[in-house]
Amino acid sequence: MFEKVLIANRGEIAVRIIKACQEMGIKTVAVYSDVDKKAPHVQLADESINLGDPTPIESYLNIPKIIKSAQDVGADAIHPGYGFLAENPDFAQACKSKGIKFIGPSPDVISLMGDKIAAKKTMEQAGVPVIPGYHGAKQDNASLVNEGKKIGFPLLVKAAAGGGGKGMRIVHSEDVLEESIESAKRESKSSFGNDTVFLEKYIDRPRHIEFQILADEHGNTIHLFERECSVQRRHQKIIEETPSPVMTPELREKMGNAAVKASKAAGYYNAGTVEFMVDGDLNFYFMEMNTRLQVEHPITEMTTGIDLAKWQLKIASGMELTLKQEDLIQRGHAIECRIYAEDPSNGFLPSIGTLERVESPTGPNVRNDTGIYAGMEVTPYYDPMLSKLVVSSENRAESINKMIWALSRYVVLGVTTNIPFLQKVLSHKEFKAGNITTHFIDNYFKDWTIAKEGLPIAAIMSLAVYDSMHSRTQETVRYKESDPHSPWKHVGRWRMGVEE
Amino acid sequence: MFINYECENHVYNVSVERRKNHYFITYDNAEYKVKAEETKPGHLKIKLGDRIIKSVITKGKEDKFVFVDGDVFKVKNVELTGAGKTRKKKEEGTLDSPISGKVVNVKVKKGDKVKKGDALMVIEAMKMEYIIRAPYGGKVKKVNFKEKDQIEIEQNTVELTKEEEA
Repeated sequence: MFEKVLIANRGEIAVRIIKACQEMGIKTVAVYSDVDKKAPHVQLADESINLGDPTPIESYLNIPKIIKSAQDVGADAIHPGYGFLAENPDFAQACKSKGIKFIGPSPDVISLMGDKIAAKKTMEQAGVPVIPGYHGAKQDNASLVNEGKKIGFPLLVKAAAGGGGKGMRIVHSEDVLEESIESAKRESKSSFGNDTVFLEKYIDRPRHIEFQILADEHGNTIHLFERECSVQRRHQKIIEETPSPVMTPELREKMGNAAVKASKAAGYYNAGTVEFMVDGDLNFYFMEMNTRLQVEHPITEMTTGIDLAKWQLKIASGMELTLKQEDLIQRGHAIECRIYAEDPSNGFLPSIGTLERVESPTGPNVRNDTGIYAGMEVTPYYDPMLSKLVVSSENRAESINKMIWALSRYVVLGVTTNIPFLQKVLSHKEFKAGNITTHFIDNYFKDWTIAKEGLPIAAIMSLAVYDSMHSRTQETVRYKESDPHSPWKHVGRWRMGVEE
Repeated sequence: MFINYECENHVYNVSVERRKNHYFITYDNAEYKVKAEETKPGHLKIKLGDRIIKSVITKGKEDKFVFVDGDVFKVKNVELTGAGKTRKKKEEGTLDSPISGKVVNVKVKKGDKVKKGDALMVIEAMKMEYIIRAPYGGKVKKVNFKEKDQIEIEQNTVELTKEEEA
């Protein structure tokens, strides 16, 4: 096992990894930028190294600085966390060439999976279903119509240079294919100056379902079941859960096998995630593979009892997987909510400022992964995720209730958070019914904003009592009598002409 | 104590008085009698009849943050004198009675000098007491009601000459 691991990250994931190392008796080294001097990951680690300027490219993305730091302190491995350098093949290669173990897959696999088209080809060859499509160079109408017929309907005509729905057509039948291609091309030409189009099978009612993989460096690969991550806002996952409400044992086995096959085809080792798109008829297609520990890994840990961060360290140090696929079981149901410092009434823009007070909910099966503290400045330099609140329960309905309860007791004062938004989403009847697709937020919460109903009386009373308690001036007593011996002083409140 | 809270560009005029174990809070023509304790720093437990309100309050550099029932409100204590004249006029409180009731106590007489926040008159209705307070410092020009008088909503209680104008 490693002696000393440098964690090339910040925030909750750095804290998570440091704790895993500590449990295993591994020394830890934190790196930090100037604004993170007092951050929990720095406090927690045995050693810490200042990377200087908070701009990511100067600090957490600076490969030479991080490699040199690891060498200076004699770290024998680097854990990249997620984000920053986690999926950068040059970083993995730089570690390798300096004899420092990169805790993750090989640089070649990171490169392969980073190239979406090459990754798709690899999967197709391995027999893993991919979204049928045509991304070729032949752009004449006859060729495109021919390719379209092969893909089948409904299909999507997409502008290669496209975005925001421009140059995009959903085609439901062959007879309108050619005119749709022509019109998409015209629109694309006028919008982007380029009329190249792609064809892709249109996925109706799409869900984002991913499978967790653990693979050792000796050829053993297992999956740790699925995570349903369909609830996304602008392609950013906000609520994840496991098991998926649509999963059946048969589908789970099929998709799990496909995920294992995909990992093996890529020559993958360490923890990874195979992401699939699942349509309304439960057909699934490979989307991409994330070559790192995912943000939402805790829900898998909560339902399987397996510590993924520790397994990453074990695998990277050369250990063989002792877990067998047939021994793994999922128990109950877990949900994760990502708590962001963002303002739903201001277009979900990041909300920066000082965290004046932070109190996280505690209770049975409530987990809060966080890297924040009271007094911390939320800066515009990094991702505005403050923490991940995770709960698990016997079943989905109970998990949802537990999460709503936990969110209602999560005190974050000083910056605006998405907590009220998360509560609304979890309380939505379609969410409760499990009817979620990647369009869920757009369908039901497109222009959602916090209803501003002013200060409720409970808040006004709290403020008044608080100010009265903390006011320095002595309160004057009402009904103050000038004569201290007046009998009226002792009769209390009284009224005339009222029979008691 | 007379306090003005500003939240989302709206000003709330609140008064609070502590008497023995109770706090008497007046807001929007109603007085609430509550028991309250600070269970740990910033954590309040307020008892209003059968209802228990639990809240968390923290002071930031300029604002106060209140957490109650899972919602967060950002509030500023504002002084309504001096700067911000236009708002002051609109929000500075009224000397008109907020309710129909009986005058139970008159605290001032003609010619008295009063400070902002001083109690001028106490009106009782439906077993609740409303305190008319001086919205600004000044001199009492005329007291329109005496004790035990019946007073109707929006009737002027006391005429006050503002200090700077006096």
